[in-house]
Amino acid sequence: MKQYGVEMARFTSAKMNKFRRKLSSLGGSTDKDAVVSKIELQNRRLSSISANGMDEEKLIVKGQLIKAASLEKLAMLCVDCFDDAGELHDNPFFPRMVFLMHKWFVSSEELAALFINLYQTRDKSICKSPCQHKPLDQNCRLNRFKTRVCYTVRSWISEFPMHFDLDPSLAREIRSLQELTCKDSANNHKLLVDISNLPSYDWMRAVSVRNSVKRSHKVSLVFDHLEPHELAEQITVLEYKIFRRISFSDFRNYAIHGKLQDNPRLERSIMLFNGLSLWVQCMVLSKSTPQYRAQVITKFVNVAKALRQLQNFNSLMAVVGGLSHSSIARLTKTASHLPAEINKALHEMTEMLSSNGNFANYRKQLSECKGFKIPILGVHLKDLIALHTALHDKVENGLLNIRKMAQLAVVFNELIQLQSTSPDIEANMDLINTLKVSLDLQYSEEEIYELSLAREPRESASAPPTPIPSEKPVFADWASGITPTLDSDTLKKHVHAMVEAVYKNYDHDRDGYISHQEFDSIAGNFPFIDSFGILDADHFARQLKTFDEVKHVDGMISKEEMKMYFIRANCHALSCGFRHDFVETTYFKPTYCEHCSGLLWGLIKQGWKCRDCAISCHKHCKELVVVECRPRGSVSSGPQSSNTSLLQDTDTSRATSADEQPSPRGTERRRQSSRLRHLASVHQSTQTVKDSGISLMDSASSVNLNLEYNDDEVFVDEDVSSLRDRLRQSEEARAKLASENKMLQTELASAHDRIKLLQSHIGQIRQHTVSFILDQMDILKMQRDTECFTDLPGTK
Amino acid sequence: MASKPKPPQMALHKVIMVGSGGVGKSALTLQFMYDEFVEDYEPTKADSYRKKVVLDGEEVQIDILDTAGQEDYAAIRDNYFRSGEGFLCVFSITEQESFAATADFREQILRVKNDENIPFLLVGNKCDLFDKRQVTIETATAKAGEWNVPYVETSAKTRQNVDKVFFDLMCEIRDRKKEETAKPDGKKNKKTKKEGKRKKKCVIL
Repeated sequence: MKQYGVEMARFTSAKMNKFRRKLSSLGGSTDKDAVVSKIELQNRRLSSISANGMDEEKLIVKGQLIKAASLEKLAMLCVDCFDDAGELHDNPFFPRMVFLMHKWFVSSEELAALFINLYQTRDKSICKSPCQHKPLDQNCRLNRFKTRVCYTVRSWISEFPMHFDLDPSLAREIRSLQELTCKDSANNHKLLVDISNLPSYDWMRAVSVRNSVKRSHKVSLVFDHLEPHELAEQITVLEYKIFRRISFSDFRNYAIHGKLQDNPRLERSIMLFNGLSLWVQCMVLSKSTPQYRAQVITKFVNVAKALRQLQNFNSLMAVVGGLSHSSIARLTKTASHLPAEINKALHEMTEMLSSNGNFANYRKQLSECKGFKIPILGVHLKDLIALHTALHDKVENGLLNIRKMAQLAVVFNELIQLQSTSPDIEANMDLINTLKVSLDLQYSEEEIYELSLAREPRESASAPPTPIPSEKPVFADWASGITPTLDSDTLKKHVHAMVEAVYKNYDHDRDGYISHQEFDSIAGNFPFIDSFGILDADHFARQLKTFDEVKHVDGMISKEEMKMYFIRANCHALSCGFRHDFVETTYFKPTYCEHCSGLLWGLIKQGWKCRDCAISCHKHCKELVVVECRPRGSVSSGPQSSNTSLLQDTDTSRATSADEQPSPRGTERRRQSSRLRHLASVHQSTQTVKDSGISLMDSASSVNLNLEYNDDEVFVDEDVSSLRDRLRQSEEARAKLASENKMLQTELASAHDRIKLLQSHIGQIRQHTVSFILDQMDILKMQRDTECFTDLPGTK
Repeated sequence: MASKPKPPQMALHKVIMVGSGGVGKSALTLQFMYDEFVEDYEPTKADSYRKKVVLDGEEVQIDILDTAGQEDYAAIRDNYFRSGEGFLCVFSITEQESFAATADFREQILRVKNDENIPFLLVGNKCDLFDKRQVTIETATAKAGEWNVPYVETSAKTRQNVDKVFFDLMCEIRDRKKEETAKPDGKKNKKTKKEGKRKKKCVIL
């Protein structure tokens, strides 16, 4: 970068000397279009264009000769950089800078028009000798000048072909220039300004990343199996594809307005960054023991190392940012399990990326990197904003501020270079698709921090609670920055792509189904997602039956289900996952605390129990519990899911307050409630059948009621007799259910009785105990009194 | 032990500029850093955010971290905030949303620093654009009162109160540091919340 600055300075000084010579040779008309040394002399401030130190002071002062110029002059200066053979002599950077940066100040169309202007109406007096100005006359000065203009345009085309592909009005201008050259019948010129063979930069138009080639080889998509370097590589591909799309005008708009509105490409990149950072934190925090968490951290540190190798600083910042986030950094127990070298590596990388000295360490490393590299977007955006704030676009007299242009060019060079290089990595679209979905997390900072506190509570009990304002401001939504939320369509698309990838890799027999075990390992890439069978078993069971795919209930999963699952899972908020609904409970069996494994002691109301997942703990432990609340049955909850256990379910669930089974009660309660819902719906559809049955009698249509798994679908395609049959059947079913209901109610009543009985037992026991304790205390007191009594005279 | 010899090097106060995009954080920073009009400015230089100033007769250094351009990188805000000793929380008086966002920043800073008395100023910028005002002085003052922090209105354009906000903040940071070193148990006890009201102009040694 700095080198660039020096070059600029050197160039401008040389250029100006040449320019002056030219001016004087042309009769020396004074130049009002460029502010030159006069102002310079007044300005004693050292140039920052070159920052190489004092020994170059002379050069610096000279280098500032062009502080500002009019647009026309700028075009002229560019043309002057080229010689008749199209070689750049003094300095190759000036024209490039103008081509790169002009869009900050004017449109490309305007700049092109200026070159056309130069080509067209150049003062014929340049060519002093009597001359016909023939196109191929090598001695004609005018002709040579035109050649240089064409070389200038040629250089623009070859440096930034995308300008011409993406900007139709610019292309139009250049084509009109080409027409002019045809008029002159200057074939060499025509070829120079030809833009018909440019590569397409279509990808820059599209906002989203398209999947190019599908790789055929199989890979593991499971986080635990992924090699850190593999993960780093694919993150880099994803990052690269999103980063390179951010256009010049996207950067410019952001630098000027500081807002992401109407800037979808930049927003995508920031989303990816935040998503990656959150993913790292969630993956760590999703593990329940310090050892496992340390393993995940170790893995990500290795990913970070690989990212550094790949010179992908942006993703590196996201990963290291995630790892050094306070929600992770505060986990001292986890940190104690980290190997020393991992700690050291993490520390080094944090240092490297630290904001100290205006990101001095990072800037140094970046400048030393050759070849493909992805800079930290945020840092350079800050530079752009600072530059734009510090320097005006135009100086006095309305001339363009060339210094600002030069400074901005330094920053832009870093940001734009990705559009012309590519990483030497083979893209693995399957993994990228999986990543895309896994990085789309919707957890807020607060939730992550809460989770971190839950995993490893604050050390001292006296530590004040985090000051969270009691009333949530309604406008908090605006302020939370860019949370990685995709609209549902995009999400569906991503999920679709990922699921396709999963099936390609795991569906070995190509029947469109994969097994539960395989699914579980994929889901492992997504923190906090329960394994397939757990999330919503009822829902899927019903779904399956509607699809008439009952035969696959035995542990096989279809593509459709998996897609639905992931879309649902994405909406599944973290907050509900860890919040328990505790109630004070009396236990009749020795029960142990889920958190500290200590006995819940006492006679009544020994502890607190979660209504949903039925874990138990001490009153003082209930805020600290780190077990996810899994209301819908858990892997350990055993086989009470079959329909026949209806009675049993009710029984246990009625025993809520006087609990006998410590484990899966809440589960069953939920199950039962869903079953009751089902029952209700059956009842409802019976009603429907009755009504519609009567009205449909004449029309000889009929209703096909699928009693077992029907919710609301009624098919009208059978005849009346079968309708009557069905009606009768459903009536019978209803009667049966009603009688079952009655039975349940009696069961309920008896359970109530039992509770009452037990409560009276408790009362008795308590009375006994209390009187016993009182007796004991009396005895003790009496003893003490007598002792005191006997002691007293002794001491006196 | 009671009279610790002053460290020989100059005190360094780390200030962080927070607030949503486009409220003028960079403008305030640059106005403070460069008194005169800047003709040449190199944003990438290591010392472009560090300045020596005289604070109550004592020479100190201020280091400003401008979070402009990184407002939306919510995931790493936390890492920036951790290094800060004092915060200027800036909003634009012409933009209600930016004012609303300050609550979020405040909350996050408090969480990261775990210290309710962290030096913090609420700054309403662009007060030269009074005809476009959307946030009244009363609203902003009330919010600042709720947080128990000062509220100052500034204009980076007219330079109104620019020095004031930085110097006020540095005073607070300095006083906090003195308080901490004055603590008998050399431990950096950050959690001294409830004791004593915030804000002491001078420290009695």
